[in-house]
Amino acid sequence: MTRQPSRAVLRQPRHLLVAAAVAASLLTVSACSGSSDEGGSDGSTDAYGFDAVEQDPSAPITVWVDASRQPAVDAFEEANPDVKLNVETYDGGADGSGSFQTKIEAFNQAGSGWPDVVFSTQNNDAAWASQGTEPFAAPVDKGLFDSSFLDGFTEGALAPLTVDGTVYGLRNDLAPTVAWYDKSLMDQFGYTPPTTWEEYEALGTTVATEHPGYIVGAIGDSWTPEVYFWGGQAPMNTVTGADEFSADASDPKTVAMAEVLDGLNDAGVLAQESVFSPEFLQKHAGKVLMLPGPVWYSGALFQNADSLNAAPGTMTAGVPLSWDGEDPAAGNVGGGTWFVSQHSANLEAAKEFLTFVTSDDRYQVDLAPGLPAYSAAADKWLAKQAEANFFTSDFVDNVGTAATMVWDGWGYPRFSQESVWAKAVTPELAGGESLVDLLPTWETALKNEAQANGYKVS
Amino acid sequence: MTPGAWLGRVAMIVVAVFFVQFFVIPIVWLLLASTKSPHDLITTGPFTAGSFSDLAANWNALVTFQDGIVFRWLGNSTYYSLAALVITLVTTVPAGYALALSSFRGRHLLLTTTLVVMLIPNTALVLPIFLELSTVGLIGKPLAAILPFSFFPFGVYLTYIYFSTSVPRDLLDAARIDGCGELAVFLRVAMPLATPVIALVGFFSFVANWNNFFLPFLTVPGKGSPIQVGLTDLLSNVPSFNPTAAGVTAIELPTLAVATLLSVLPVLLIFLFSQRFLVAGLTAGGTKE
Amino acid sequence: MGRTRSSTSRHRISYVFVSGYVLLALAFGVLPTLYAVRMSFTTSEGTFSGVENFSRVIDDFRFWPAVQHVAAFVAIWLVALLVLVTVLALLVHQIGVRWLSSGVRFVYYIPGALAGASAVVLWLFVLDPTVSPVSGVLHAFGFDSFVQTISPGNLPVIFAVMAFWTGAGGWIVVMYGALNSIPHEVLEAARIDGAGVVRTALHIQLPMLRKWISYMAIISLAAGTQLFVEPRVLSQASHGVVPNDYSLNQLAYLFAFKQQDLNGSAAIAVMLLVVSLSLSVFFVVRGGLFERD
Repeated sequence: MTRQPSRAVLRQPRHLLVAAAVAASLLTVSACSGSSDEGGSDGSTDAYGFDAVEQDPSAPITVWVDASRQPAVDAFEEANPDVKLNVETYDGGADGSGSFQTKIEAFNQAGSGWPDVVFSTQNNDAAWASQGTEPFAAPVDKGLFDSSFLDGFTEGALAPLTVDGTVYGLRNDLAPTVAWYDKSLMDQFGYTPPTTWEEYEALGTTVATEHPGYIVGAIGDSWTPEVYFWGGQAPMNTVTGADEFSADASDPKTVAMAEVLDGLNDAGVLAQESVFSPEFLQKHAGKVLMLPGPVWYSGALFQNADSLNAAPGTMTAGVPLSWDGEDPAAGNVGGGTWFVSQHSANLEAAKEFLTFVTSDDRYQVDLAPGLPAYSAAADKWLAKQAEANFFTSDFVDNVGTAATMVWDGWGYPRFSQESVWAKAVTPELAGGESLVDLLPTWETALKNEAQANGYKVS
Repeated sequence: MTPGAWLGRVAMIVVAVFFVQFFVIPIVWLLLASTKSPHDLITTGPFTAGSFSDLAANWNALVTFQDGIVFRWLGNSTYYSLAALVITLVTTVPAGYALALSSFRGRHLLLTTTLVVMLIPNTALVLPIFLELSTVGLIGKPLAAILPFSFFPFGVYLTYIYFSTSVPRDLLDAARIDGCGELAVFLRVAMPLATPVIALVGFFSFVANWNNFFLPFLTVPGKGSPIQVGLTDLLSNVPSFNPTAAGVTAIELPTLAVATLLSVLPVLLIFLFSQRFLVAGLTAGGTKE
Repeated sequence: MGRTRSSTSRHRISYVFVSGYVLLALAFGVLPTLYAVRMSFTTSEGTFSGVENFSRVIDDFRFWPAVQHVAAFVAIWLVALLVLVTVLALLVHQIGVRWLSSGVRFVYYIPGALAGASAVVLWLFVLDPTVSPVSGVLHAFGFDSFVQTISPGNLPVIFAVMAFWTGAGGWIVVMYGALNSIPHEVLEAARIDGAGVVRTALHIQLPMLRKWISYMAIISLAAGTQLFVEPRVLSQASHGVVPNDYSLNQLAYLFAFKQQDLNGSAAIAVMLLVVSLSLSVFFVVRGGLFERD
């Protein structure tokens, strides 16, 4: 029955020994001959920092994107009609569904079928994609891309993709959280945009009595923890060393943030629905006074005819909120990431594609809904926003500032904060429980998940 | 009629009608939903029909999705289901025949095993089969769906029942006396008599294979997906159910309705056109005592 | 003499007749079972590890919640099946008009065509108040959004309703068939004795259905423990509010595909298999439904 040795078999020690022996003999041979051609593969270990399969410059590449990234693919195809792409859309791993990882693992089992390029909405995929006997993600800084290109990314943009000093993918966009607000409504109501969480809570309670029906935030999405708790510097996602995780729900900042949200929730000024749901639009369109959230809300919600469709010159982004007397900090919601497969037979095409979608003006400046991670593109994107003046006030400055403020106390573990929040907190919250009461549940759920994923929990 | 009996009768009618609605409303709604535009789906009443142009628009949205991958999924489903059906029939009918009409060493064991395995839900063996196929490197190949599908103990049970109750041994013996060899007896005498049960086994096997989700989900990932698995891929492009799908190439709800309809159409048609035969078949196991 | 020879050759050719089926049964029934058992008792390196895999899986924080979820669903579903299928079968059997009776049976049966993911996707629509054909009913229960409808407390009921919708019709038809096998004279005699519909049902028809009802219960119990596609699709459609580790099979899937722990996955599969297998063996040995041989 054993027609082909599979990975499961290879893991067994006898076979491991054989594999090790073969590898060792290959090493000796290549050391003697002074060439690394013995591997039989065209793109050798030296060229890319991993064992590439035999390359075929005319092979079509399979690209996985979420539906929102389709324009990036279209722009690339228009610019490079000679590169053949097979495009497949998937959920992009949204809400921590884990579909990227589970699909890849299925192909690992099959021993074939991997996509060449994958877009993920999550920023923690490098944690697993760089690991294993057959890691999926190709290192990008070991020969695949020039360091001059990689240096072009905004400082820190590649941090979520860096594991043990090696970079395993490219960042699509930066996603710091900002304090979105409707300037015209603020003026009309005579309010000053808050700069601290304390002022934010006070504003919310005032709005509830003076202008009921208007909202100052939303807690229906699974990235609520990144917006509020990451931004509020609550230590709920601390990754130390390779395998240590901690979450502290009794930290004063965690509790304070939960109290702010409970207060606002009781006042009825937080939307319970996902900002992408039809219900959200039905209930709150035109009544969004404030909405702390990632920069990409710009193109995804406000400047989007199918969503909130704000009038030009009304919305703007305030700098991230701070605690009274402290420095402000930003949370971070995703910021998409691009990966190249180690199994790709056309790494050059994959490289060309990634270069285009992360840095080319024709996508990142002209079409992208959020702040590009590639700094030259980011500058132009911001300049374009300044010129269009759709977002008013100090939008450009504030977004630029926020990008430098992402709090480094949150890590990028192998599991998804979003999926834990969705299953442990969202339903209870919808059922009327207070967030303060739910904090221990949340902490336990996070620690359990961390433990199941091999972290030592403290 | 006494008032009590009258009330009882009314209660019975109410219950029967309620359940007719329960079973039928979702299907009727699905048919109607596929003819509406996304906007109409939310704004108009659930039981109003849309228009042919909207149906056409939904259809177009579905078939242009990823260059018509839906046809690939349907093709995969058809291939897996039919190939497995053939293997099932070729292995099942002779097995049921032998179990029913001759005694050989191991017959009782085989019969008991068949009964036991038949009562185990087919999902229970999916992970073990996946682990096994993974070890022999078959994952991702069409055979990884077809071969497990082909193992269909319920079919053996049905043919066994049929041959032991509906085919007179005398007839077979008569053929033997006429000088027919065992193979000829089976092929020329037993097989023609077995047409009803062959159709029945074929039906159950096809439906079970077509609707199977868990096994192909694990054993033939990616491009090898059948429509049932493809449908859930489609689902992740529906904005209402997935936030980041709020993009340009989103699948709208009515399009998903069309896809759902398409995914069940073959089975639904078989159901509609073979109703009498099916109902008779379903009861066969029980009433032929 | 000739007779003996022919019957020997008949028995010999039987092996040929059953060979294909036996091969498939070995390859996709026996072997995977043995292989899963072996994996569940070994490490990923293949060395014997005792019950280590089992204890790791059982100690996993997701295990007992998954057991509870599945148990709650199975309990509700079984009660619904036992009560409603019996009542509906008796009811349909009461309908005197032939075409009406068969028509009603067919309508009950038709959702059986929708199984797997298709049925779940259809039910996503039904459960979403914005598009549901029964949005009035949902609102009456206080469910104004999809997330409210699928709140954790409702899930066992929702899965039970979904499973009942697809599966009940088939059982109703089976029960109806069993009812038909009761000789007409028996029922007629009961009627002449003055037994009402209810008494006839309780004292004559139900006892006749007993075997079939227990058959249904056993099969459904075993099938219910296998819950997978329903919570999986709901999880996908609810932004993860329905967890992706709701049921035991989902957990086994996560062990294999997310944690790359095939041995842990095998341990869960073996536990589920033991449940199904014991129910099945118990029924085959004790049930009496298959006493033919």
